Amino acid sequence: MRQKVRIHEKIVETLFLVCALVGVISVLAIIVFVFYKGLHPFFGEDPYSFQEFLTGTRWAPGEDTYGVFYMIVASVLSTAGAIVIGVPIGLMTAVFMAELAPEGVVRVMRPAVELLAGIPSVLYGAFGLGVLVPSIRKISPLVQGQSMLAVILVLAIMILPTIISLSETSLRAVPQSYREASYGLGASKIQTVFKVTIPAAKSGILSATVLGIGRAIGETMAVMMIAGNPTAGLPSSIWSMVRLLTTNIAMEMSYASGRQQEMLFATGVVLFFFIMIVNGTLLFLTRKSKEEQK
Amino acid sequence: MTSRKKDKVQEFLINLCSVLTIAILVGIIGFIFWRGIPGINLNFLTRQWEERTTYVNVGEYVEYTDSETPGRVERFGVTLEIAGDGVAIAGLDSSSSLTKGVDGAGSVYKMKKHDIIEDVDGYSVEDAYEEWQEGGGQDPEAFLAQITAELNALEGTSHRIKVMRPGGGIIPMVVTTLYMIGLCLIIAGPVGILASIYLVEYAKPGPLLNVIHFAIQNLAGIPSIIYGLFGSLFFVQVCRMQYSILAGAMTVSILLLPVIITATEEALKAIPRGYRESSIGLGATKLQTIWHVVLPGAVPGILSAVLLSIGRIVGESAALLLTAGTVATIPGALVGSGASGATLTIKAYTLMKEENDLQTACAIGIILLIIIFILQIASRWFSSRLLKHRGQ
Repeated sequence: MRQKVRIHEKIVETLFLVCALVGVISVLAIIVFVFYKGLHPFFGEDPYSFQEFLTGTRWAPGEDTYGVFYMIVASVLSTAGAIVIGVPIGLMTAVFMAELAPEGVVRVMRPAVELLAGIPSVLYGAFGLGVLVPSIRKISPLVQGQSMLAVILVLAIMILPTIISLSETSLRAVPQSYREASYGLGASKIQTVFKVTIPAAKSGILSATVLGIGRAIGETMAVMMIAGNPTAGLPSSIWSMVRLLTTNIAMEMSYASGRQQEMLFATGVVLFFFIMIVNGTLLFLTRKSKEEQK
Repeated sequence: MTSRKKDKVQEFLINLCSVLTIAILVGIIGFIFWRGIPGINLNFLTRQWEERTTYVNVGEYVEYTDSETPGRVERFGVTLEIAGDGVAIAGLDSSSSLTKGVDGAGSVYKMKKHDIIEDVDGYSVEDAYEEWQEGGGQDPEAFLAQITAELNALEGTSHRIKVMRPGGGIIPMVVTTLYMIGLCLIIAGPVGILASIYLVEYAKPGPLLNVIHFAIQNLAGIPSIIYGLFGSLFFVQVCRMQYSILAGAMTVSILLLPVIITATEEALKAIPRGYRESSIGLGATKLQTIWHVVLPGAVPGILSAVLLSIGRIVGESAALLLTAGTVATIPGALVGSGASGATLTIKAYTLMKEENDLQTACAIGIILLIIIFILQIASRWFSSRLLKHRGQ
């Protein structure tokens, strides 16, 4: 009887283990399949030049021309713009919630931030299309409102909840004694926030920023309708239309086949490369902050 | 003095940013409601999306009532009216012959209010309507009387009616979304929960645990368009599922794993060590302890994780666009042709992108926002229950 129970327990444990391994298998499968398909056009018969792919500034599947450089530039610049706008606003909001706001206000703001995080990205796109693009069209020197500026603004809004909630958590984790010591030295509340609390919460805020970068660079549907998606050309100003790595994939995947489809996977590989850098940095930061805590 | 001025400026900036954040939220939600409200009505909520034309064979109505209502067609037991784009059914007697029609495939086709009659036995109501419209659309009562007279004068007792059921409703997308939620939870729920049980209760610190955690962290960082690429290659092409709800559900399930695992792990860790030790001490096996002691306490946390995942499924678009397709009908199968279906979010996207119809997209957006809002409130309620449990 006891023997039977033990076997039974062993089987169940193995089942649990298999479930836990599904995550590992999925990551491996995603990497293998996307890379296999994405790297395929650069090898074998009639290979496409990898250098032309990475440095080209024109995407014309009809002419067998696939250059993603202008998309890489657009993705990086848009993400940078979103971080420059979104992080300060998000951090200040987090400071307000963690340090200044009365408990009652925080109790309203926190669900509001959560709601902002829960809004489907398609609806951010609708907002961009219905509000931002028409407004930009009015002030832009160019004829269209679809622009890098619109992309930057929507991405900045979309990373806000990530920045706010993670920064707030790390600000709250700063020991009260730090603040008291600062007050004791005669510093005001605001001085304490900027000179003591924010520097002490630095690593958490940095993680939040990196996570924000990851979200911004991978965002697809919200920016699809407001980016303009031109077939060529480096962005020359914030008013020019851009095609991002993500939107390139989503635009053409539904009807692409053959080499064009493989090139979309290759675009995915480039995107994956950026995501790996972001994930690696994030892992490094969390490990470092854990060591600091010890 | 200057430092106090600097304080004031900085405090002002902090307040400004907080107000801006809230203003953005209110702005987005306000915009969606402002643009979407005019598009929401009963038809939008209850109809199919595509209009459908059917040929129906019907018999005669037996209970003549001699009604004098305008638009009354006695032989079918039906009242007609001139609606938006044709001659539509305004009301049916409960035993009207139109409710017992048979379509070309031999199955019963029940006509409903708002269905548009286009043709009866070769007499084209549609053409008559168009002619009348081109003539300026004067005197609708006379036109309706002319139509009813024509229909009442038809010969024979068996009739063939071409009927058009108007579309424009979100029912197929609602059903597809529900299917998608169900499938994803069936697939990702057990896997995620059992995986977290392994990670919290069984796994010993070491390389295996690190690898699993590393993988899950990485999964959480992969953007959904990459999941979409993988799904469209592996599930749609390699597994030959085609654009189908199962391919979509499998893809989204992988995407949900980190969400479910992380939240369930938290819930399991919240159960005090002492509970487990006393259970083991009383002679229970590890499995019995997990089943009878740990899991019941973690239920609120697990439910909150499930609600969180439903929110993700409802809002997901990029991964589903590449795996489940954009067809606005209720999917008839799990895989293969006819299994493709658009969720509410996907439909909102295609409306904006392909049909330039921001109003209907925002109307769907209102439905989405309401769903998300309810899910978040429920999820918060469950996690507060978990915290209470922890406090005991």
